[in-house]
Amino acid sequence: MTNLTFVSVRKTFGPTVALEGLDLDVKPGELISLLGPSGCGKTTALRIAAGFEFADSGAVLVSNADITRTPAHKRNMGMVFQSYSLFPNLTVANNVDFGLRTRKMASAERHRRVAEMLELVQLTHLADRYPHQISGGQAQRVALARALAVQPSVLLLDEPLSALDAKVRSTLRDEIRRIQTELGITTLFVTHDQEEALAISDRIGVMSNGRLEQLGTPRDVYRHPSSAFVARFVGSMNELPATVVGNHAVNVGGHPVVVHQTSQDDGTAVRLLVRPEDMKVVDDGGLHGTVTTCTFQGSSTILGVRLDIVDVLTSVHVAGIADLNPGERVQVAIDGSRAVCEPMS
Amino acid sequence: MQPHIHVAIDPELGNQPTAPTGIAPATAGRPRRRFSRLVPNTVLILSGLFFVAPLLTLARFSLQNVPTILLGWNTLFDKWSLNGLTKAFDDPAFWPALKLSLQLAVGTVVLTLGLLLPTAIWTHLRVPKARSVIEFMTVLPYMIPAIALVAGIKIIQPHARWFLNSDFSLIPFYVILALPFTYRSLDAGLKAIDLRTLVDASRSLGAGWGSTVFRVVIPNLRTAIISASFLTAAVVIGEFTIADTLLKETLPRFQATFVGREPQGGYGLNLLALIVTIGLFVTLSVLTKKRDPKRKSFARQAANAALVEKPGQL
Repeated sequence: MTNLTFVSVRKTFGPTVALEGLDLDVKPGELISLLGPSGCGKTTALRIAAGFEFADSGAVLVSNADITRTPAHKRNMGMVFQSYSLFPNLTVANNVDFGLRTRKMASAERHRRVAEMLELVQLTHLADRYPHQISGGQAQRVALARALAVQPSVLLLDEPLSALDAKVRSTLRDEIRRIQTELGITTLFVTHDQEEALAISDRIGVMSNGRLEQLGTPRDVYRHPSSAFVARFVGSMNELPATVVGNHAVNVGGHPVVVHQTSQDDGTAVRLLVRPEDMKVVDDGGLHGTVTTCTFQGSSTILGVRLDIVDVLTSVHVAGIADLNPGERVQVAIDGSRAVCEPMS
Repeated sequence: MQPHIHVAIDPELGNQPTAPTGIAPATAGRPRRRFSRLVPNTVLILSGLFFVAPLLTLARFSLQNVPTILLGWNTLFDKWSLNGLTKAFDDPAFWPALKLSLQLAVGTVVLTLGLLLPTAIWTHLRVPKARSVIEFMTVLPYMIPAIALVAGIKIIQPHARWFLNSDFSLIPFYVILALPFTYRSLDAGLKAIDLRTLVDASRSLGAGWGSTVFRVVIPNLRTAIISASFLTAAVVIGEFTIADTLLKETLPRFQATFVGREPQGGYGLNLLALIVTIGLFVTLSVLTKKRDPKRKSFARQAANAALVEKPGQL
């Protein structure tokens, strides 16, 4: 069992700073997702771990051994790429065998390992096929088998699900997690899909502008975002104009809302970021508004409500089927205990 | 708010609304479709005739033992013979010329691929911005005629006799002449594959650069490499100007002199060269489609190994 550590890793491409002092420790057997928008540096971090790019400064360690300058082919990392990276000239079995052949492993052992890996991803029956004869989901499973066949010290996944359709993505996501847990392999997973990251990670690192904004469990990151950026990026957020009233309260359109903490002075205008599920339709004592949309999502309903006093369109999460229609008048109560206050710019 | 309007669309006529004339769209479309097919078909037939007619006359001249003045409709089926094709084989200068041209073709193909393949791969991977510059440089032989190259050779000839005396001194010049075809072919091949990902995948699996190029890149560029090689060979085997200037006895130079001595045999040789070239290009298209059957054997063994471990799984 190995761990992967980034120590103050910095990387620039010309004038662009891709990574600014990244510190991250992926513990043995842990799956950490790096989540962030395009250009935030998450893929650069992964490529530096893989050895395709070298850090300008800082260090990359695998089980405390410095691999910062070790070339990619000597790192023993398994990697699955966003685009289908199977070698088109080789069959599924030969793709899985590629890394084993490179390691000059005995033929019988190679056959056994290839069979084992194809069994693991449940694709034994496709061993004879060429990459163009299988589906995208199957191709990514073969890529996973190929990466795992060489028994890598760390598994690196570079948005492996983003090219797949929703249903396959969800199935393969669960399969990746099952295999990762089964093998107990240390894994760094890069994605821009928050749902994916929340579903399979032990911890999530949210990145922005080359920096790690927050590192925590999916529950922590979602429930207690450390910044307005994280709050906005992970999950959806309602943004309500408010005024600070003391250390633990804000005023939204005349209604006091108790919040976790505010660092601003009394009377300061702030933006209150509240999750849709922290806003509830109530019979009395809430902010008045009009339903604009009603989106049924199966197990829940998302209401679009235009609030009267602050004139803001918010979304409200309602469990089950909401018996409301656009145009109806409602009252909405805010639970501010998990809200984030951001100064108005 | 604008009212919704439903408009019927006739797929034959594109996305234009059908006029309410009462005429069925299918019957209205037929004559137009016929006419639209007539034009390209006529152009195709005329183009075919343009290419085939000279070849047919070349075939008659080479293969019919009838005086040229008597070649007409009434002698169409008279005295056909394959002798015209093989007359050149009896000339003592033919085989050495053919051998030299083939050697030059092989040498040029090897040198061209040796230079351009790493260049194209490196450019695609490391300096993609330089691709347009390299592309421009490789089309220069199109713009600068071979005779200009010959003028340059003439200037350096007195100072480089040690090099130009060798028959194989033609190879570097032929590499330049073949550049536009070779580079474009390789470049198109590289564009068709996700080179960066394939290289990264290979390296992450423990393969060094050499192994990556020979086991991943080259097999996936097989079609491009074969095409580039055939095009290069075609350029070499057909090149006359530089060979003539440097007095090298290549096949085109032999053809030029032989056709003067023996017109029927000379044109017969040209016809044979054409047939061989067509044959080679047909072979090329077959070769580039074929898969290596050896590849499958490993897959079968792996599948069998899985069966042994989990009988009844498949």
